[in-house]
Amino acid sequence: MLHSFKKSALLGVLLALAVAPAAVPGAADAKDILLTGVKPDKIVMVDVKAREVIKTLEIPNAAPGNLTITPSPDGKIAYTIVNRWESVSGIDLDSGKEVFRADFSSGKTRVKAMFAMDISPDGKELFVFQSPVKLGLGEYEVQDTRVAVYNTADGIGAKPVRLMPAPRRTAVMSLSKDGKKLYLLNWDLTVMDPMTGAVVDVHKVRNWGRANFGEPDILDVWPQWETAGVFSTPYYVVRTDKSPDDPAAYKTGLLTLDLETDEFKMDGFEDTAVVIFSSVINPVRRNEAYMVYTTLSKVDMSKPLAERLVKRINLDHTYYAVNVSSDGTEIYVGGTMDDIAVYSTADLSRIGTIKMPDGGDQALSSLRLIQR
Amino acid sequence: MHRRNPSILPTLPVICVLLLGLLPAGPGAVQAQGADAASILNSRCAACHERTADGGLSRVEDMRKTPEGWDMAIVRMTIMHGVRIPAEERAVLVKHLADTQGLAPEETRDWRYILERRPNALDKAPDDDLATLCGRCHSFARVALQRRDAEEWRKLAHFHLGQFPTAEYQAMGRDRNWWEIVSTSVPDKLGKLYPLRTAAWTKWLDQDAADLSGRWRVAGRRPGKGAYHGIAAITASGEDRYRVALDLTYADGGTASGSGNAIVYTGYEWRARLNLDGESVLQVFTLSEDGRELSGRWFLEDLDSVGGNLRAVRMGPAATILAVEPAYLRGGTFGRIAIHGVGLDGEVDLGEGVEVTSTVSRSSETVVVEARATAGARPGARGVRVGGADAGGLFTVYSRIDSVRVEPDEAIARVGGAGGPLAAVPAQFEAVAYMNGSDGAAGTDDDQRIGVMPATWSVDDFNETAAAMKDSQYAGRIDMKGLFLPAAAGPNPERPFATNNAGDLAVKAVVNDAGRKIEGAGHLIVTVQRWNDPPIR
Ligand code: HEC
Ligand code: HEC
Repeated sequence: MLHSFKKSALLGVLLALAVAPAAVPGAADAKDILLTGVKPDKIVMVDVKAREVIKTLEIPNAAPGNLTITPSPDGKIAYTIVNRWESVSGIDLDSGKEVFRADFSSGKTRVKAMFAMDISPDGKELFVFQSPVKLGLGEYEVQDTRVAVYNTADGIGAKPVRLMPAPRRTAVMSLSKDGKKLYLLNWDLTVMDPMTGAVVDVHKVRNWGRANFGEPDILDVWPQWETAGVFSTPYYVVRTDKSPDDPAAYKTGLLTLDLETDEFKMDGFEDTAVVIFSSVINPVRRNEAYMVYTTLSKVDMSKPLAERLVKRINLDHTYYAVNVSSDGTEIYVGGTMDDIAVYSTADLSRIGTIKMPDGGDQALSSLRLIQR
Repeated sequence: MHRRNPSILPTLPVICVLLLGLLPAGPGAVQAQGADAASILNSRCAACHERTADGGLSRVEDMRKTPEGWDMAIVRMTIMHGVRIPAEERAVLVKHLADTQGLAPEETRDWRYILERRPNALDKAPDDDLATLCGRCHSFARVALQRRDAEEWRKLAHFHLGQFPTAEYQAMGRDRNWWEIVSTSVPDKLGKLYPLRTAAWTKWLDQDAADLSGRWRVAGRRPGKGAYHGIAAITASGEDRYRVALDLTYADGGTASGSGNAIVYTGYEWRARLNLDGESVLQVFTLSEDGRELSGRWFLEDLDSVGGNLRAVRMGPAATILAVEPAYLRGGTFGRIAIHGVGLDGEVDLGEGVEVTSTVSRSSETVVVEARATAGARPGARGVRVGGADAGGLFTVYSRIDSVRVEPDEAIARVGGAGGPLAAVPAQFEAVAYMNGSDGAAGTDDDQRIGVMPATWSVDDFNETAAAMKDSQYAGRIDMKGLFLPAAAGPNPERPFATNNAGDLAVKAVVNDAGRKIEGAGHLIVTVQRWNDPPIR
């Protein structure tokens, strides 16, 4: 966003007068709203610039808590993995009602959603990565993993309209901006046709084959690409040409995938110094990434290698998830415990805190940003 | 990075399985009236485990396990599959299954450390692959203490991922195609290493049951407290069930006594619970194949890192030396030496260069002598003889202490208490004196062990990271008996990130050898509580 806040606010007022009062997604008057989950069964909506929880919604049969959250593209519904990862519930953010529910398991098969979930750009299809196991009499039988596709219009009791075999260990899944590619991050980044499940491409991660490097290791289960349209994650890798005692043998890097252009990059930024769980890309200065766990780091991938780590600060506790405002000025760190902390993207100074109602833990819940 | 363990994925379910199904409750109480094993299997298990052509139950008949292994499997049925089974029926089943589908003594020999709950035992595996694939959540010993054919090992792999779907996402699960490997080649490998049918087991099934009743001479040492010896009186109280009374005397003159109940599983697995001077003590012993010797470890029921080793032989005509105390004498000095055993009649010989100058007292169980090691006595271990009994390696003459080792040299202690459900887990160290071997260098393979010595104990930060975090200030304290007591559990607001009282410490022992101070060091990791502590870790 190139215009100043004042201008946009003014524009917002004008627009609101000129057209219908309903919030139009992406319209200039839209506010950034953060969505997070709180144990055991709540979705919390935060007006993040106001530093204020504006709504707490209850998800039926959600315990012990929710995992991934996927907002509908119009920002009206939040789909979330609940019920010991065996269901997806869609909650209407205005009425608070459950408008979609898919319970995966039956008596004979237990099916768990393993973190990865996304929605088509038109909001019509929900993609859920699943790991099924057959519960036999006195024995279990692990089944192949798959992507189950649901019609969001099927509402409560939805059954998959397609089941597509998918690589095991998929942890994040994202549709391209045009909805024509389904990306699955497992050992590699598999590109699937979302209609047929055919593997159309593979961006190599584990099999990247770079000389003098081992296989990169990634564990990221946080979908945080909505503001920049870039999927990103930290990775760790060991240099095989250096002694295991040499701290310079251990490298941390950033993987990015542009969901519009399919541009895929993996590039280092430091000798591994801290553990990082997840990252997010600034929608305005798209070379900048922010990363969390016990620390918050600002990395500029456009700089020479030695200068890429711009700043790092200690956080007051661990945070798993991170997101960024749509104007690129504020960083939100969340997940884990009962608060979302706000930092400035300029200098990583702390500029706010939002407490979750009743001190509930966000645990592994996603931290998603919508505009309404 | 143990303290900042970056694992977000639930690894193990929080289950505290006690040895309930395993231990004798009281005289006769376990001998349930009525229900025998066959009818219990029928009423409690057959609903899900189908009858097979040979009359057994599917899956249940296809494996062999230790008593602890069977107990854990049944507990698992109650937790994961809603099976209800009263404690006394569970005990009957464990006994029946361990007796008829157990492991032969030689099949458990290498893995007893896990049954004995030895603190700081180093877990082993046949190779690194198996250690990583199957020994990262629990010990590999848990695997090696079961016997199944490949198809059954494969079903176990299906249970694992079926029950713990995050297993393939965790560190060391995602660096390889864990599921593909553990469901294909690993079961084949395990089926060859640990098959259902073995000659050892077939032979053991033919062994006549031993009657353990009688008086036994015992000796051992409890780290932190010292060597002890005593008498155990064992009387039969039912089939494979015994009452046991124990009277111990420590080298420092202290005594301990008590009594309790024992069961023998599979013909050789002795499990007992005793009240020893008000403390509840568990014994995990094994009976030798000739039925003459019991040996193993005992520990406090609610603090199993504290306990001792024990060896017992039947009192009878056969002469045996069990222990020599103290186990060393410095060249050129006098000492009073006690020899404990059975049938100790006849002349005492402490080996070359050691002169027995007088006999202080003697019975056939203990002989106490005054002895002198000549100044030029060859340093090294001596064979000890009393009449017809002899023993090697129980007594050493030394010229000077060249080095001190802290044992164990790698240890783990756990924070606890602070109003939480789990008490802190202390770590007990001993300072062991060594002489250099012929290479004249300390810390090499040819060093000669002298024995456990009194020491002055302290802890320090293990490395720079620990120093920066001031670990030695927060993680706990060590006493002058080498017992490290960890600090309280939970976040500590005084520490950076309000981290808990975990720490990375060097443990130091200083031994005084006739005025010379010799220091040894070990490594202690103080970490968080173990929420899941099943009978086989
Ligand atoms: C309600 C159904 C049910 C009942 C009743 C039941 N089981 Fe199971 N059992 C299972 C299932 C399901 C599995 C396979 C999954 C697993 O290993 O947990 C299993 C597996 C097992 C295994 C194999 C475990 C391994 O180590 O691979 C054993 C042994 C076993 N059961 C013993 C028993 C015994 C003994 C009883 C009676 C006390 C019993 N079961 C009662 C459902 C049951
Ligand atoms: C992700 C962690 C994890 C890994 C890796 C793992 N296990 Fe386990 N294992 C468990 C847990 C949890 C249990 C169940 C403990 C309980 O509740 O009784 C278990 C139980 C067992 C048991 C006892 C089962 C019974 O009922 O008697 C055996 C044997 C075993 N595992 C073997 C293996 C083998 C073989 C491998 C490698 C193929 C392996 N484990 C890898 C977590 C793991």
